[in-house]
Amino acid sequence: MSSDPSLLRMSSQGDDVAEQSSNTVEAPTSSSSTETDPTSGTTVTIGATVPTGFEHTAAEEVKEKIGVDAQISKDRGRIYFPITTDKLSQVHLLRSVDNLFVVVAEYDHYQFKESKEETLSELQELASKLPWTNALEVWRLNRTLKKKKGHRKVGNTTKAKSNAEASDVAAAPEAVQHELPEETSAADGDAKAERTPDLETCQQDLDENAPGAKLIKFRVTCNRAGDKHSFSSNEAARDFGGAVQELFQWKADMTKFDIEVLLNIHNKEVVIGIALTEESLHRRNISHFGPTTLRSTLCYGMLRLCKPQASDIILDPMCGTGAIPLEGAIEFSESFYIAGDNNDMAVNRTVNNICHIQKRRADRGSPSGLPIDTVQWDLSNLPIRTSSVDIIITDMPFGKRMGSRKKNWDLYPSCLREMARVCRPDSGKAVLLTQDKKCFAKAISRMGGLWRKLHTVWVNVGGLHAGVYLLKRTTAVFGQTPEDVHESRGRGDSQMKEKDDKEVS
Amino acid sequence: MKLLTHNMLTSHVKGVTKGYPLLIKATEVKVNEVEFNPKFVCRMIPKLEWSTLVQAADQLGHREELPGELVPDYEKNGDFLKKVHRVLLEVEVIEGCLQCPESGREFPISKGIPNMLLNEDEA
Repeated sequence: MSSDPSLLRMSSQGDDVAEQSSNTVEAPTSSSSTETDPTSGTTVTIGATVPTGFEHTAAEEVKEKIGVDAQISKDRGRIYFPITTDKLSQVHLLRSVDNLFVVVAEYDHYQFKESKEETLSELQELASKLPWTNALEVWRLNRTLKKKKGHRKVGNTTKAKSNAEASDVAAAPEAVQHELPEETSAADGDAKAERTPDLETCQQDLDENAPGAKLIKFRVTCNRAGDKHSFSSNEAARDFGGAVQELFQWKADMTKFDIEVLLNIHNKEVVIGIALTEESLHRRNISHFGPTTLRSTLCYGMLRLCKPQASDIILDPMCGTGAIPLEGAIEFSESFYIAGDNNDMAVNRTVNNICHIQKRRADRGSPSGLPIDTVQWDLSNLPIRTSSVDIIITDMPFGKRMGSRKKNWDLYPSCLREMARVCRPDSGKAVLLTQDKKCFAKAISRMGGLWRKLHTVWVNVGGLHAGVYLLKRTTAVFGQTPEDVHESRGRGDSQMKEKDDKEVS
Repeated sequence: MKLLTHNMLTSHVKGVTKGYPLLIKATEVKVNEVEFNPKFVCRMIPKLEWSTLVQAADQLGHREELPGELVPDYEKNGDFLKKVHRVLLEVEVIEGCLQCPESGREFPISKGIPNMLLNEDEA
């Protein structure tokens, strides 16, 4: 973690970071402090997992909505920020965050012992030395917040996700952000998001005031990344868990637990935390899934990238289940969204998802209508007036989960052309997500007259490495640049097109 | 389908040069409350084809005194902006069709979704 002393050094164990001592357990670099302000509550450090590549976007959102600076972890996909406990409910409203936890202690440069035995033994000792109090207080507060909200049971989130992913997707579950070879000790071998939503319905009623009164169940989840460790995440979780159990007399339960203790080890960075979310927040808007539904946090990140302005007309020409425009209509509601797809099921699912959200809003007594519409269309021939769209934002077919590589070869150039036509010259923008980077690079290289690449964010989608490309529309009017004149001449006549291609390249 | 969307939709049947605006034939129309944002409406008006909007609202029987032409200083007229807001975002065609003004081709609207897909021979 980058060391900005003013932000995270709220150590309650004294200020010295005793890294060299070999006998005593080292003091944490930082931990949730013991300062308590009677009005705003205790100050703690919150950790949040976010889609890899969008850490800065998430930090921006935290600054904007919570008013504090976030630190971006070296361990990608995580950010940390301090809050006073009165802000906890606001933290749950952040749109770029997948999962939340409260930091018990954090070590920047943990000195692991040489042998496995010594290391694990030290981890066990560590458990009893940690400043648990404040983190546990936050955990308790968090539970009361959830109960008040009447925690909505989105029973189909994670289950549908596991069913919906096509079988040829890489095994790495989506919630796992790390790029280094790593393992998770979660009992089923899956990351947090795969835990069944049934868990919510089985939640034991706890007496919040006296956690010791009723038996608390817990588990330890260890995420370990790095190649110099002498131990596995399973071993660490097991031993650390054993010590925690002895310390608090909680009962260990891998599936029906009240408290999830997190042990995150990334090379020399060790973070111990307590989970504040049970299931990933990332599929919050979608009740009707499709095979490639994008998680809302990723949608939010993409939307933030293009900075929607009031009255911007925003098109998603390959909307699938409508995840991106729907997130936009909710979170950047001063713009207008048109979601389109050629597929029957996709447009129906989109409309169902929109209705679902509208009904939820109506139930709460707010005006339910959203600034979004759905159309069934063919992307390569959009029924939209030229130069009338401000932003195009979409998840392009990857070729692995939908479509095929060969199809992309033809699809991508014609997409980019048609998108350039409807997009307003000069001010128009596009934010395009794709895993087929090679095909995209080739397609965009031939579109220099119409599109300019501004920025690329590398992300991880369902275990696949993908790029989010931010493009700016050039000032050139469509129909006059060499690219689109060439291509339109060639359309429908493949031999002529091949000849043109040879000339152009 | 909202009228803001209709304002942007055009017929793209092969050979058609005057595919805009599409005529609306509605059999079911709904009005759905959307939060009013005057800034949104103000900034949207210059992006619209005003006469198309008025015509469309008329076709649906929801014109409600919208002027045929924009009046100056409309930005400051709250009532006017509210009327535009309603027509742009709150009035929705649920069932019906859109008709290409040149070719007569009809594009069905079902459950609020216009189907603009063309047959092979029309593309």
